[in-house]
Parts: sequence; structure tokens; C-alpha cells
Amino acid sequence: MKKGIIAIVAVLFVSAFLLITAHSQEDMKVVDRSVFKNPQKFSSVFKHEEHNEKAKIEECNECHHVYEDGKLVDGESSEDRRCSDCHKLESSGREPSLVKAYHTNCKGCHQKNKKGPVMCGECHVR
Amino acid sequence: MHDIYSFVSGPLAWVAFIAFFAGIMYRLIDMIVQVIKKEPFIFTYMSLKYSLRSIIHWITPFGTLNWRRNPILTIVTFAFHISLILSPIFLLSHVTLWDEAWNISWWTLPDGVADIMALIVIAGSLFFLIRRLTQREVKFVTSTSDYVILAIVAAPFVTGFLAYHQFFGYPIFVILHILAGEIMLVAIPFTRLSHMIFSLFTRAYMGSEFGVIRKSKDY
Ligand code: HEC
Ligand code: HEC
Ligand code: HEC
Ligand code: HEC
Repeated sequence: MKKGIIAIVAVLFVSAFLLITAHSQEDMKVVDRSVFKNPQKFSSVFKHEEHNEKAKIEECNECHHVYEDGKLVDGESSEDRRCSDCHKLESSGREPSLVKAYHTNCKGCHQKNKKGPVMCGECHVR
Repeated sequence: MHDIYSFVSGPLAWVAFIAFFAGIMYRLIDMIVQVIKKEPFIFTYMSLKYSLRSIIHWITPFGTLNWRRNPILTIVTFAFHISLILSPIFLLSHVTLWDEAWNISWWTLPDGVADIMALIVIAGSLFFLIRRLTQREVKFVTSTSDYVILAIVAAPFVTGFLAYHQFFGYPIFVILHILAGEIMLVAIPFTRLSHMIFSLFTRAYMGSEFGVIRKSKDY
């Protein structure tokens, strides 16, 4: 009986651990939108690894940036934090709101390079 | 596709918004100048009280004799105009873009509600089209321009509906939708769609004339 419980707990722990580690950027297919209150659009397509390979983006801090005193810090990155840790639902000061942060970052680069989606439904695919 | 999208959503959007607002200003100033030149005596009996009385009755469903005479036409007219005006102004997608372009934003409709309002505008347009084609007394006063204006109004909603649902040809419909909206904006001040601004003044004038001069009601 006791052994059974230990085995079940162990299985639970292992699967929880697997679930957490399985949730890494390699498996990312869309950008998580759960921080938005009552989101209205479909999650934006974004296959993290495939995207950055195809787009030939070398630096993680192209997106996962770090600012200090309003200046972008070279060579430092923030992939251990979510965009929403810093960007709130409303803009504050020079920090754009979360939607604007995503759209400026994603669409901005696509527009500049004339490559990658710029129309709403090309990212927010049904 | 990038270049076309950037063009219609950038410079062309500027042209459309400037033509819309400048066009409205021009038409209003022109109206005031014409009245001062030709019929300045109108100002002697313009009355705020009777103007508001007329406007309030006419923007109330069934608030006038005319509205009560044809209930179906009245319901369609109100549902059509309310949806037509509110849905583009309070559409989340539009506000998102204005926020990015001009740092302005306000309350928005849930997408599902806006979707239904688009359908109301499309259904209303069909109703008005069929009415023009079949009712003898309406057909009699209909010219080609009436059909063109109806198409100009329906087009942004038809293309917007198709784009939103991503049925097929998504990028094409987005671009057509933006173009259709811009055509409508430019058309408002310079076609009979200008009743968007002038209907208020027409009612104010009629209300004042009926209230002050004829001592009767215009509703
Ligand atoms: C084109 C932009 C972009 C680039 C470049 C980029 N990322 Fe990300 N990454 C994202 C976005 C967006 C998320 C989701 C963030 C969120 O949900 O807050 C993310 C999430 C992550 C996560 C968290 C995964 C998860 O599921 O929680 C990790 C880890 C990560 N990125 C690592 C990296 C590393 C390492 C690099 C550089 C080799 C990199 N990223 C480059 C955009 C980018
Ligand atoms: C550690 C906090 C932090 C994290 C995490 C963060 N940002 Fe930022 N971000 C900032 C700050 C601070 C600014 C304001 C910079 C300034 O002062 O101009 C900013 C500015 C921006 C801007 C506008 C300036 C620019 O670079 O174009 C965009 C866009 C942006 N962030 C997108 C993102 C995205 C997308 C993510 C997630 C992948 C993200 N940010 C994660 C702190 C953060
Ligand atoms: C630094 C530039 C850059 C940034 C930032 C960026 N992208 Fe891209 N993206 C590209 C380029 C370049 C392509 C075109 C790749 C190709 O097909 O050659 C692309 C393509 C895409 C595609 C189409 C992929 C495909 O398989 O055709 C999607 C979807 C996309 N990006 C989403 C995003 C999202 C979401 C973000 C923000 C989290 C983002 N991108 C940020 C450069 C960028
Ligand atoms: C390059 C990709 C891209 C394009 C193009 C894009 N978005 Fe987004 N959008 C995102 C990402 C990434 C997020 C944040 C996470 C998510 O929703 O998946 C987001 C979030 C949003 C949100 C907040 C979340 C929600 O569902 O309510 C809205 C609203 C939104 N976008 C509207 C639009 C509109 C309107 C357009 C077109 C004018 C558009 N987006 C174009 C990538 C994009």
C-alpha cells in the first residue's frame, strides 16, 4: 500500500517535471496570450526555433532585451523572463503596453525587412 | 504584398482621413457662408430648444409620425445606422492600429458583437437594395448614384467580414477592406452620404421653422 502511494507520487513528480521541461522555446508554436484579459484574437503563430533559424536572427536579445536607464544593454538578454513581466497591459512611461511591445517588435521587423507577416490574420491565424 | 499593404495602410490612409475631416470642415463652412449670403433671416428664428426637440424626436425609434408609419423600415434604418457608425469606431482591430499609429485608444466592442453588427449592415444594405429595385415609389426617385453609394457603404463591411473570418484569400480581402474604407471616408463629405453631418442641421432648421414660425410640430 505504502509502496503504491510512493510509486504514484513519484510518477506524478516525474510527469510534472517532464511537463515543465517540455515547455521550452523549442516546442513553442504560438505566443501565449493567457496574460491578456479576455483575449479576442487567436494566438499568434510563432514557432520559436524554426522562426529564428529561418529569419537568421542570431541574438536572443533582438527580442529578449534588457534596458538600463533607458538604454539597450548590448550582450545581455532576458529570455528567463516573460515579456509580460516588464510590459504591462497599459503603457507606462517609455515602456510600451504588452500588445504594442509584441506588435512593434514582431511587425516592426517584418515591415523593415519586407519579410514575414504584417496583416492581423497572418499571425492571428484561425 | 508588403508594399501594397504598407501603401494602403500608410500614405493612403493619411490621404483618406485628411480628405474626410477637411471635407467635412469645408462643407460646414460652405453651408454657413451660403446661408449668410442667401438667407440670413434664417438666423432670426433658429432656436436651440426647437432644434433639439426635433433632433431628439428623429433620433428616437418611433419618435415621429414618419417613423411610426412604416415600422419595418424604421427598425432596419435604426439598426443599420447604429451598427454602421459604432462598429468601425469601436472595433478592437481599428483601435489597436490607431493606438500604434497615433497613441490614442478607447473602449472597444467584443469582436463577436462587432461581427453581428457587420452582418446587420450587410443585411440592411440588401434590404435597401431590394426596396429600391421593387417598390415602385422608391424606384421612381432612384438613380444610378444611389446604387453606387449603397455599394460604397456595403463594401467595407462585406470585405471586413470576409477578412475577419479568414474564409479564403485573406491578404486580398484585407487590402480590399482598407481600400473600401478609404473610399467611403472620402465619399462621405462629397456625396449624399454627407447627410451624416447635414441631417442634424436639416432637423435643427426644420424644427425651428415649425416651432417658431408655424407653431407646430415637425415630427
Ligand atoms: C523573434 C523574437 C525572439 C528571439 C530572437 C528569441 N526569442 Fe525566445 N521568445 C520569444 C517570445 C515572444 C517568447 C514568449 C515570451 C512570453 O510568453 O512572454 C519567447 C520565449 C522564450 C523562452 C521561454 C519559453 C517558454 O515556453 O516559456 C525561452 C527559454 C527563450 N525564448 C529562449 C530564447 C533564446 C535562448 C533565444 C536566442 C537563441 C531566443 N529565445 C530568441 C521571442 C524570441
Ligand atoms: C526586463 C524587462 C523587459 C523584458 C523582459 C522585456 N522588455 Fe521590452 N522593454 C523594456 C523596457 C524598460 C523598455 C523601454 C525602453 C526605453 O526606455 O526606451 C522596453 C521597450 C520595448 C519596446 C519598444 C522599444 C523597442 O525596442 O523597439 C518593444 C517593442 C519591446 N520592449 C518588446 C518586448 C518584447 C517582445 C519582449 C519579450 C520577448 C520584451 N520587450 C521583454 C523592458 C523589458
Ligand atoms: C528581427 C526580425 C524579426 C522579429 C523581431 C520577428 N520576426 Fe517573424 N520573421 C522575420 C523574418 C525575416 C521572417 C521571414 C522568414 C522567411 O520566410 O524567410 C519572419 C517570418 C515570420 C512568420 C512566418 C513564418 C513562416 O514559416 O513563413 C511568422 C508567423 C512570424 N515571423 C511571427 C513573428 C512573431 C509572432 C514575432 C514576435 C514575437 C516575430 N515574428 C518577430 C523576422 C522577424
Ligand atoms: C507579426 C505577428 C502579428 C501581427 C501581424 C499582428 N499581431 Fe496581434 N499579436 C501578436 C502577438 C505575438 C500577440 C501577443 C500574444 C498573442 O495574442 O498570441 C498579439 C496580441 C494581440 C492582441 C491582444 C490579445 C488578444 O487576443 O486580444 C490584439 C487585440 C491584437 N494582437 C490585435 C492585432 C490586430 C488588430 C492586428 C492587425 C492590425 C494584429 N494584431 C497583427 C502578433 C501579431
